[in-house]
Amino acid sequence: MPNQSGRLYGLTILSPIIDDDGAIPSHDLQIRKYLAALPTDERSPFARASGTHLARLVVMDDVIYVGAPSCEEHLKSKYLVFESNCDVDLDGYLAGLAKTIPKELDAIWCHCVGYPLAANVDAFVAYMKACQLETSFFFAAVNDKTVPQALRALMTHNAVAEFIASHQGVAPAELQGEFLALMAKLAAEPTPPAGSMGPHRLMKTGGHNE
Amino acid sequence: MSNINGKVYAMNVVTPMRPWKTFFLRAIFFLLWNVKPMQNDLIDLSFIEFARWVIVPRRKFPYLGKGQEKESLKYDYLLFFSNFNGTWNQYIDAFSAVLSKGLDLIWRWSDKYPGSVPVTPFKEYIARVQFDTDYYYTAYPHATANDLKSAHVVQDAVTALSARARECSPEEFGDAYLDFVLQVQTHLGETGEAPVAC
Amino acid sequence: MSKLNASDIQGFVLRGYNLPLARYYFLHLAGAKQARELLERLHPLITTGQRWDSGKPDSTVNLAFTHQGLAAFELPQATLISFPVEFQQGMRGRAAILGDTKRNAPEHWDAFWHQETVHAWLGVNAQTSESLETCCDGVQTILTETGTHVLGSQDAAAAVVDGKPTTKEHFGYTDGFGNPDFLGVERSTQPGQGKRMPDGTWAPLATGELLLGYADEAGELPLAPVPHLLAANGTFMVYRKLHQNVATFREQLEKYAAQYGGGKEKLAAKFIGRWRDGTPLELSTDCPDPTIAQDPMQSTNFTYGDDPEGTQCPLGAHLRRVHPRDAFGFDGKLVHRRRITRRGLPYGRFASEDEAVSDLEDRGVIFMALNASLMRQFEFVQQQWIEYGNDAKQGNDKDMLMGNHDGCGRFVIQGDKTATNPPFVCSHLPNFVELRGGDYFFLPSLTALGMLARGLVDPR
Repeated sequence: MPNQSGRLYGLTILSPIIDDDGAIPSHDLQIRKYLAALPTDERSPFARASGTHLARLVVMDDVIYVGAPSCEEHLKSKYLVFESNCDVDLDGYLAGLAKTIPKELDAIWCHCVGYPLAANVDAFVAYMKACQLETSFFFAAVNDKTVPQALRALMTHNAVAEFIASHQGVAPAELQGEFLALMAKLAAEPTPPAGSMGPHRLMKTGGHNE
Repeated sequence: MSNINGKVYAMNVVTPMRPWKTFFLRAIFFLLWNVKPMQNDLIDLSFIEFARWVIVPRRKFPYLGKGQEKESLKYDYLLFFSNFNGTWNQYIDAFSAVLSKGLDLIWRWSDKYPGSVPVTPFKEYIARVQFDTDYYYTAYPHATANDLKSAHVVQDAVTALSARARECSPEEFGDAYLDFVLQVQTHLGETGEAPVAC
Repeated sequence: MSKLNASDIQGFVLRGYNLPLARYYFLHLAGAKQARELLERLHPLITTGQRWDSGKPDSTVNLAFTHQGLAAFELPQATLISFPVEFQQGMRGRAAILGDTKRNAPEHWDAFWHQETVHAWLGVNAQTSESLETCCDGVQTILTETGTHVLGSQDAAAAVVDGKPTTKEHFGYTDGFGNPDFLGVERSTQPGQGKRMPDGTWAPLATGELLLGYADEAGELPLAPVPHLLAANGTFMVYRKLHQNVATFREQLEKYAAQYGGGKEKLAAKFIGRWRDGTPLELSTDCPDPTIAQDPMQSTNFTYGDDPEGTQCPLGAHLRRVHPRDAFGFDGKLVHRRRITRRGLPYGRFASEDEAVSDLEDRGVIFMALNASLMRQFEFVQQQWIEYGNDAKQGNDKDMLMGNHDGCGRFVIQGDKTATNPPFVCSHLPNFVELRGGDYFFLPSLTALGMLARGLVDPR
C-alpha cells in the first residue's frame, strides 16, 4: 500500500477550513498567523509527538489556474493540508498526537469544519481519518528507522567522528580504553531532542528564501 | 512561513488533470510501485529525502457536511510533496537533467505541463503551481539524507566494534579499530547548518 | 554549430593568454559622457579572440563592467533589470550565499573596495615588464584624459622559480590545468577536459556554458540581458583576490605529515587530488610521475568510477569537488552545467620551500572565472562544492585549502590497510586562503562595447 514505505507511514490530510464571512480575519488567515509563530525547532509541538519524522502544514487556499486554454475553476472550501512522515501505525500515531499536543492541535484545527477537539481522542482519530487521502506513490530515502534511532545515530556519528579525528596514532591499549569510555558515555547520554540543530551548535535559522 | 528548516527544503506542488487522464497516471504509479528498479534514479539522486504523490479525484475532496459546500470541479488534482537537501534551483535542475523521462511520465497528464526539458519553462511552471509551506517541522534539521545514511552506517559499525572491544586484547582491538575506521571513512562528514538559500 | 566570430569576442574569454605579467585596474566612471568617450578610445586597444598567427602580442587589453558600471552608461532601465539578479547584486551582496563571512567578509577586503563603487575592470597582460609599462602608460593617458578615476590596481605575475616563470602557485602546486573545452572554441582539446560521454569519450561542452547567445548544456540560451546584441558573445566574470597563508599551510602540512604514514608530499597531494607537480592521484597513487603530468593526453584523462571509496583520491579533495567527472553518476549530467573557466595569475613573490615565510606577506592568487551564469556555475560551485560537502557525501566538510574554516571543520583522507596509505583526518582547520576583494563583471563583445560607447542600446 503506497501509504507505507518501509516502516514510514506517509500521512496526507486535507481538512476543510471553515468559511464564515463573519470571521475577521478569516479562518485561513488565523491558521496562517498561528503557524507563523509556532516554533519549528525542538520547542515544536511535533517534537513531542512521538514517531514524527517530519510534519508540515500548508493552507491550500485554492487550486491553481495554469492559464488558457485550461478551464478556470476554484475551490468552494479552503483546505488545511497536513503532511507527516511517521514511524507509528496510523491509529496509534493520531491518538498519540491527540494525547500529547491537544492544545496546539485544537488551536490549529478549531478553524476547520467539523473538528471535534483533541480531548475526545476517538473522535479526533475518526475526524482525521475522514479527512485523509490515500497516497498514490511514496518514496523515502531512509525508511527503516525510528526517530530516536535516527537521533541517536546522529549523536553517535558526531561523537565517533570526533573520536577518530582526535585519536590518530594512539597506542592500541589506550585507544581501547578510551573507546570503551566513549561507548559508556554515549550509552549514558539521553537521546538528543528531536527538532534541534544537533550537538555543539547554537540555534540559527538555516536560511530563508530571498 | 518558510519552506526551509535547516538543511531541508519542503516542496508542495498542486496541478490540475483532466479526469480521463488520471487513469493513465494511476497505471504508471502502479508500475513504478511494483517494478522497483524503476525507482533507482530517485534513489541515486541522493539529495531527495522523500517524494510523495497523491491523486485527489475531483469528487473526492474531503467533505464533512456541517455547512461545508461540496466541491464541483472539472479537474482531478495531483498533489506532490517532497523534501530535498540543497537549493530549489539545484533540485529542479537535477530533475530536468536526469529524471526528465520519469517526471514527464508522471506530470504529462497535468494541464499545461510544459515538459521538464528545457528547464526554464519547467521552472516557471513549478514556481506557479508551488504552494509555500506555512509550518515545517523536521526531527533532524541538521542532517541531510546523506548525513542520516552515514550516521546509521557509523552507528551499526560502532555497535559491532563495541561488542568486540570488551573481550579482545589491545592488539586485536588495534586491528579491529583500523577495520572499523576503513568501514566508516567515507561517512565522517560533519552535520550542522546548511548554506544560505539562494 | 556555427563557427564563433573570434573578432567579436574578447580574447580573454577564448584563451588563457599564457603571458607571465598582468595588471588589473579598477575604475570608477565619471559620468555617461566620459564613460562613452573612454570606451570609444579604448575600443581599438581591446584584444579579441582572433588567432595569433604571427606570434603572441607584447601585451593585451580587456575590459569588463559591474552592474553599476553599466548603469553609469545610463542604459535603459529595462536593460539594466534584465541582467541576472546575482550580477545586479554584485559579489559583496552575495557574501552570505558564497560563505564570504567572518575573516572573508567584505569589511576585511582591500581598502579600495570600500571607497567609491567599482564600475569597471581593465586587465592588461604582458610578455615583459617593459611591454607591461608601455601598455599601461597608454591606458593611463586615456584614463586621465577622460577623467576616469583609478580606484586601485593589482599586479599579478607567474611565479618565478629559479629565474623562470612557471605555472606554480604559492603552496607549490602546479596550477592552470583543467579548463573545460567548449564547442567552437579553437583550442587543442585534450581528454578529460570537456564532458564525459556515456561511451567513455570526452566531448566539448556546449558553447552556451561559456558565452551568452548560444545553446547551453540544457539546450537553452543562457539567461541574458536584452537586447540580444548587447549580450551575445559576452560572458560574466568573477574576480576574487585570494590571499594565501603560506606559513600556515607549511606549518599544518609539517604537523600532519609527522603523523601521516604516507609522507608529506602524498599528504599535500591528498588535499588537492594531484601531486604538486600535477600528476593526478587517480593515475599515480604512490608518487608523482612527470611523464603523466606533462602529457596532455594523460594529465587530465581520468575518472573516479574505480575509486568510489576515495582511497586513491579522497572524496573531499579539491579536484574531485570542483570537477566530479563521473562521481555523481547519471553520465555526468549533474556536473556539465557547473563548469567554470579559470583565468588569473598569482601575485606576490614566490618563496621556495627553504625560505622563511610569513602569512602577513602579500601573496596569493587572482582567481578569475568565466561563465554564462554566475548563479548556476560559479556560485553553485563555491557554495555547494567548496563551502559545503553534501554532494560529495562529506556532510558540512569544506574544501581543505579553499574553505572558510575559521578553526573548525574536518578533512577526511580515505585510505586502506597499507602503511603508506592510511585513513587520516585533519581537523580544527585554519583558513589557508582568505578573500581580499572582488566583484562580478560583465565582459561584453566588441559589438556590445561599441553599442555602449555610442549610446546605441535601445530601450525595450
